[in-house]
Amino acid sequence: MNWLLPLYPARWRVRYGEEFGAVLASQHASVGLVLDVLAGAVDAHLYPQIQNSQSKPIKGDDTMTLEMLQRCAVGGPKLSPQDRRIASLFMLVSALVMATLYIVLTKIYRAAPAVQALFYATFPALTLIYGQTAYLRKRPWLTQVFILGAGLLGMYLFMLAACVVGNKL
Amino acid sequence: MMRKTKDDAELDDFGRFSEPALLILVSLAEGPRHGYSMTEDIETLAGVRLGPGTLYGALARLEARGLIEPLKSEDRRNPYRLTALGERALRTRLDSMMAVARTGQRRLAHA
Repeated sequence: MNWLLPLYPARWRVRYGEEFGAVLASQHASVGLVLDVLAGAVDAHLYPQIQNSQSKPIKGDDTMTLEMLQRCAVGGPKLSPQDRRIASLFMLVSALVMATLYIVLTKIYRAAPAVQALFYATFPALTLIYGQTAYLRKRPWLTQVFILGAGLLGMYLFMLAACVVGNKL
Repeated sequence: MMRKTKDDAELDDFGRFSEPALLILVSLAEGPRHGYSMTEDIETLAGVRLGPGTLYGALARLEARGLIEPLKSEDRRNPYRLTALGERALRTRLDSMMAVARTGQRRLAHA
Protein backbone atom coordinates (compact mmCIF):
# COMPACT_ATOMS: atom_id res chain seq x y z
CA MET A 1 0.00 0.00 0.00
CA ASN A 2 3.01 2.29 0.25
CA TRP A 3 2.60 3.08 -3.47
CA LEU A 4 -0.02 5.63 -2.37
CA LEU A 5 2.53 7.64 -0.41
CA PRO A 6 3.85 9.66 -3.42
CA LEU A 7 0.39 11.22 -3.67
CA TYR A 8 1.21 13.32 -0.61
CA PRO A 9 3.17 16.60 -0.91
CA ALA A 10 6.98 16.25 -0.66
CA ARG A 11 7.25 18.32 2.54
CA TRP A 12 4.53 16.25 4.15
CA ARG A 13 6.38 13.03 3.25
CA VAL A 14 9.63 14.35 4.70
CA ARG A 15 7.85 15.03 7.98
CA TYR A 16 5.37 12.13 8.27
CA GLY A 17 6.26 9.72 5.44
CA GLU A 18 8.17 7.14 7.46
CA GLU A 19 5.73 6.79 10.34
CA PHE A 20 2.73 7.02 7.99
CA GLY A 21 4.25 4.17 5.96
CA ALA A 22 4.64 2.11 9.13
CA VAL A 23 0.96 2.62 10.08
CA LEU A 24 -0.16 1.98 6.50
CA ALA A 25 1.83 -1.26 6.36
CA SER A 26 0.04 -2.50 9.48
CA GLN A 27 -3.45 -2.18 7.92
CA HIS A 28 -5.28 -4.68 5.74
CA ALA A 29 -5.72 -3.47 2.17
CA SER A 30 -9.30 -2.46 1.41
CA VAL A 31 -11.24 0.01 -0.72
CA GLY A 32 -12.04 2.00 2.43
CA LEU A 33 -8.35 2.28 3.27
CA VAL A 34 -7.45 3.45 -0.25
CA LEU A 35 -10.22 6.08 -0.11
CA ASP A 36 -9.06 7.23 3.32
CA VAL A 37 -5.47 7.64 2.10
CA LEU A 38 -6.63 9.43 -1.07
CA ALA A 39 -8.79 11.83 0.97
CA GLY A 40 -5.82 12.41 3.28
CA ALA A 41 -3.58 13.23 0.28
CA VAL A 42 -6.11 15.73 -1.10
CA ASP A 43 -6.38 17.31 2.36
CA ALA A 44 -2.58 17.51 2.71
CA HIS A 45 -2.38 19.39 -0.62
CA LEU A 46 -5.32 21.70 0.12
CA TYR A 47 -4.54 22.44 3.76
CA PRO A 48 -0.80 21.96 4.32
CA GLN A 49 -0.07 22.11 8.03
CA ILE A 50 3.69 21.60 7.85
CA GLN A 51 4.85 25.22 7.68
CA ASN A 52 2.94 26.00 10.88
CA SER A 53 4.44 23.05 12.65
CA GLN A 54 6.38 24.15 15.70
CA SER A 55 8.70 21.27 16.37
CA LYS A 56 10.17 18.52 14.30
CA PRO A 57 12.53 15.91 15.58
CA ILE A 58 15.54 15.79 13.29
CA LYS A 59 17.64 12.70 13.58
CA GLY A 60 21.25 12.78 12.42
CA ASP A 61 20.53 10.75 9.28
CA ASP A 62 17.60 13.02 8.33
CA THR A 63 19.69 16.15 8.02
CA MET A 64 21.26 15.49 4.62
CA THR A 65 17.98 14.45 2.99
CA LEU A 66 16.28 17.50 4.45
CA GLU A 67 18.98 19.85 3.21
CA MET A 68 18.88 18.33 -0.28
CA LEU A 69 15.11 18.71 -0.41
CA GLN A 70 15.34 22.32 0.74
CA ARG A 71 17.96 23.07 -1.94
CA CYS A 72 15.76 21.49 -4.62
CA ALA A 73 12.78 23.50 -3.40
CA VAL A 74 14.55 26.86 -3.86
CA GLY A 75 13.61 27.12 -7.54
CA GLY A 76 10.13 25.71 -6.99
CA PRO A 77 6.92 27.69 -6.97
CA LYS A 78 6.14 29.54 -3.75
CA LEU A 79 2.62 30.76 -4.18
CA SER A 80 1.26 33.03 -1.50
CA PRO A 81 -2.48 32.99 -0.72
CA GLN A 82 -2.69 36.36 -2.48
CA ASP A 83 -1.08 34.90 -5.65
CA ARG A 84 -3.67 32.12 -5.61
CA ARG A 85 -6.57 34.50 -5.05
CA ILE A 86 -5.51 36.80 -7.91
CA ALA A 87 -4.95 33.83 -10.24
CA SER A 88 -8.37 32.38 -9.34
CA LEU A 89 -10.07 35.71 -9.93
CA PHE A 90 -8.29 36.10 -13.26
CA MET A 91 -9.33 32.59 -14.27
CA LEU A 92 -12.96 33.24 -13.31
CA VAL A 93 -13.12 36.47 -15.30
CA SER A 94 -11.44 34.74 -18.27
CA ALA A 95 -14.00 31.90 -18.08
CA LEU A 96 -16.86 34.40 -18.22
CA VAL A 97 -15.29 36.27 -21.14
CA MET A 98 -14.64 33.07 -23.08
CA ALA A 99 -18.13 31.71 -22.44
CA THR A 100 -19.69 34.99 -23.62
CA LEU A 101 -17.44 35.04 -26.68
CA TYR A 102 -18.38 31.45 -27.51
CA ILE A 103 -22.12 32.17 -27.22
CA VAL A 104 -21.86 35.27 -29.41
CA LEU A 105 -19.71 33.56 -32.06
CA THR A 106 -21.98 30.48 -32.15
CA LYS A 107 -24.96 32.77 -32.76
CA ILE A 108 -23.18 34.40 -35.70
CA TYR A 109 -21.07 31.63 -37.26
CA ARG A 110 -22.86 28.47 -36.02
CA ALA A 111 -20.53 25.45 -35.87
CA ALA A 112 -17.61 26.89 -37.83
CA PRO A 113 -14.24 25.20 -37.03
CA ALA A 114 -12.94 28.46 -35.55
CA VAL A 115 -15.83 28.47 -33.04
CA GLN A 116 -15.47 24.75 -32.29
CA ALA A 117 -11.76 25.28 -31.65
CA LEU A 118 -12.61 28.03 -29.15
CA PHE A 119 -14.90 25.63 -27.30
CA TYR A 120 -12.28 22.86 -27.10
CA ALA A 121 -9.48 25.25 -26.17
CA THR A 122 -11.40 26.84 -23.28
CA PHE A 123 -10.62 24.33 -20.54
CA PRO A 124 -6.86 23.96 -21.21
CA ALA A 125 -6.68 27.73 -21.76
CA LEU A 126 -8.18 28.40 -18.31
CA THR A 127 -5.66 26.05 -16.71
CA LEU A 128 -2.87 27.86 -18.54
CA ILE A 129 -4.25 31.25 -17.48
CA TYR A 130 -4.36 30.19 -13.83
CA GLY A 131 -0.83 28.75 -13.87
CA GLN A 132 0.79 31.61 -15.74
CA THR A 133 -0.98 34.31 -13.74
CA ALA A 134 0.10 32.70 -10.48
CA TYR A 135 3.70 31.86 -11.34
CA LEU A 136 4.57 34.89 -13.46
CA ARG A 137 2.88 37.52 -11.32
CA LYS A 138 6.12 39.10 -10.17
CA ARG A 139 7.62 39.23 -13.69
CA PRO A 140 7.31 42.35 -15.94
CA TRP A 141 3.79 42.62 -17.42
CA LEU A 142 5.18 42.46 -20.97
CA THR A 143 6.76 39.08 -20.21
CA GLN A 144 3.47 37.89 -18.74
CA VAL A 145 1.47 39.04 -21.77
CA PHE A 146 3.98 37.51 -24.20
CA ILE A 147 4.19 34.12 -22.49
CA LEU A 148 0.46 33.89 -21.81
CA GLY A 149 -0.47 35.21 -25.28
CA ALA A 150 1.91 32.83 -27.05
CA GLY A 151 0.64 29.90 -25.01
CA LEU A 152 -3.03 30.71 -25.67
CA LEU A 153 -2.44 31.36 -29.37
CA GLY A 154 -0.51 28.10 -29.74
CA MET A 155 -3.24 26.18 -27.98
CA TYR A 156 -6.00 27.76 -30.09
CA LEU A 157 -4.16 27.11 -33.36
CA PHE A 158 -3.61 23.49 -32.35
CA MET A 159 -7.33 23.03 -31.59
CA LEU A 160 -8.26 24.84 -34.81
CA ALA A 161 -6.06 22.49 -36.83
CA ALA A 162 -7.64 19.51 -35.06
CA CYS A 163 -11.17 20.79 -35.82
CA VAL A 164 -10.39 21.47 -39.49
CA VAL A 165 -8.84 18.03 -39.95
CA GLY A 166 -11.66 16.39 -37.95
CA ASN A 167 -14.36 18.05 -40.11
CA LYS A 168 -12.70 16.86 -43.31
CA LEU A 169 -12.50 13.22 -42.26
CA MET B 1 -26.01 28.16 24.08
CA MET B 2 -22.88 27.22 25.97
CA ARG B 3 -20.12 29.80 26.06
CA LYS B 4 -16.80 28.73 24.59
CA THR B 5 -13.56 29.50 26.37
CA LYS B 6 -10.23 30.19 24.63
CA ASP B 7 -8.95 26.67 25.42
CA ASP B 8 -12.14 25.14 24.09
CA ALA B 9 -11.70 27.08 20.85
CA GLU B 10 -8.31 25.39 20.29
CA LEU B 11 -10.15 22.33 18.97
CA ASP B 12 -12.41 24.33 16.66
CA ASP B 13 -11.74 24.71 12.97
CA PHE B 14 -10.73 21.06 12.56
CA GLY B 15 -13.61 20.33 10.18
CA ARG B 16 -14.04 16.59 9.59
CA PHE B 17 -10.96 16.02 11.78
CA SER B 18 -12.65 17.33 14.98
CA GLU B 19 -13.70 13.93 16.27
CA PRO B 20 -10.46 12.10 15.35
CA ALA B 21 -8.46 14.95 16.95
CA LEU B 22 -10.42 14.64 20.17
CA LEU B 23 -9.95 10.86 20.20
CA ILE B 24 -6.20 11.29 19.67
CA LEU B 25 -5.97 13.72 22.58
CA VAL B 26 -7.88 11.28 24.79
CA SER B 27 -5.55 8.48 23.70
CA LEU B 28 -2.45 10.59 24.46
CA ALA B 29 -3.83 11.61 27.86
CA GLU B 30 -2.58 8.26 29.14
CA GLY B 31 0.98 8.86 27.92
CA PRO B 32 3.04 9.13 24.72
CA ARG B 33 2.01 6.85 21.85
CA HIS B 34 2.95 6.36 18.22
CA GLY B 35 0.48 6.24 15.31
CA TYR B 36 -0.20 2.51 15.30
CA SER B 37 -0.63 2.40 19.08
CA MET B 38 -3.09 5.32 18.90
CA THR B 39 -5.14 3.53 16.23
CA GLU B 40 -5.39 0.42 18.40
CA ASP B 41 -6.21 2.40 21.55
CA ILE B 42 -8.88 4.49 19.82
CA GLU B 43 -10.48 1.36 18.41
CA THR B 44 -10.67 -0.08 21.92
CA LEU B 45 -12.02 3.05 23.59
CA ALA B 46 -14.40 4.34 20.90
CA GLY B 47 -14.99 1.37 18.59
CA VAL B 48 -13.76 3.22 15.50
CA ARG B 49 -10.62 2.43 13.55
CA LEU B 50 -9.04 5.57 12.14
CA GLY B 51 -7.51 5.16 8.70
CA PRO B 52 -3.94 6.47 8.29
CA GLY B 53 -5.15 9.38 6.12
CA THR B 54 -7.56 10.54 8.82
CA LEU B 55 -5.11 9.84 11.66
CA TYR B 56 -2.28 11.88 10.13
CA GLY B 57 -4.61 14.65 8.94
CA ALA B 58 -5.66 15.12 12.56
CA LEU B 59 -2.12 14.64 13.94
CA ALA B 60 -0.71 17.31 11.59
CA ARG B 61 -3.39 19.78 12.70
CA LEU B 62 -2.85 19.06 16.38
CA GLU B 63 0.91 19.43 15.99
CA ALA B 64 0.60 22.65 13.97
CA ARG B 65 -1.54 24.17 16.75
CA GLY B 66 0.89 23.06 19.45
CA LEU B 67 -1.58 20.70 21.14
CA ILE B 68 0.73 17.69 20.76
CA GLU B 69 4.45 17.34 20.11
CA PRO B 70 6.63 14.59 18.64
CA LEU B 71 9.28 12.85 20.70
CA LYS B 72 12.61 11.74 19.34
CA SER B 73 12.66 8.15 18.26
CA GLU B 74 15.21 5.84 16.73
CA ASP B 75 12.75 3.72 14.75
CA ARG B 76 10.14 4.62 12.12
CA ARG B 77 7.33 4.90 14.64
CA ASN B 78 7.45 8.41 16.03
CA PRO B 79 5.72 8.82 19.39
CA TYR B 80 3.70 11.93 20.32
CA ARG B 81 2.71 13.43 23.63
CA LEU B 82 0.24 16.02 24.84
CA THR B 83 1.57 19.53 25.43
CA ALA B 84 0.33 21.66 28.35
CA LEU B 85 -1.87 23.54 25.88
CA GLY B 86 -3.24 20.26 24.54
CA GLU B 87 -4.01 19.04 28.03
CA ARG B 88 -5.90 22.25 28.85
CA ALA B 89 -7.83 22.12 25.56
CA LEU B 90 -8.79 18.48 26.17
CA ARG B 91 -9.86 19.18 29.76
CA THR B 92 -12.02 22.11 28.68
CA ARG B 93 -13.60 20.18 25.81
CA LEU B 94 -14.39 17.18 28.01
CA ASP B 95 -15.88 19.46 30.69
CA SER B 96 -18.17 21.11 28.15
CA MET B 97 -19.17 17.70 26.72
CA MET B 98 -19.97 16.46 30.22
CA ALA B 99 -22.08 19.56 30.89
CA VAL B 100 -24.05 18.90 27.70
CA ALA B 101 -24.44 15.21 28.62
CA ARG B 102 -25.65 16.06 32.13
CA THR B 103 -28.20 18.56 30.79
CA GLY B 104 -29.38 16.03 28.22
CA GLN B 105 -29.78 13.29 30.86
CA ARG B 106 -31.67 15.64 33.16
CA ARG B 107 -34.05 16.71 30.43
CA LEU B 108 -34.64 13.11 29.36
CA ALA B 109 -35.44 12.18 32.96
CA HIS B 110 -38.19 14.82 33.01
CA ALA B 111 -39.52 13.98 29.56
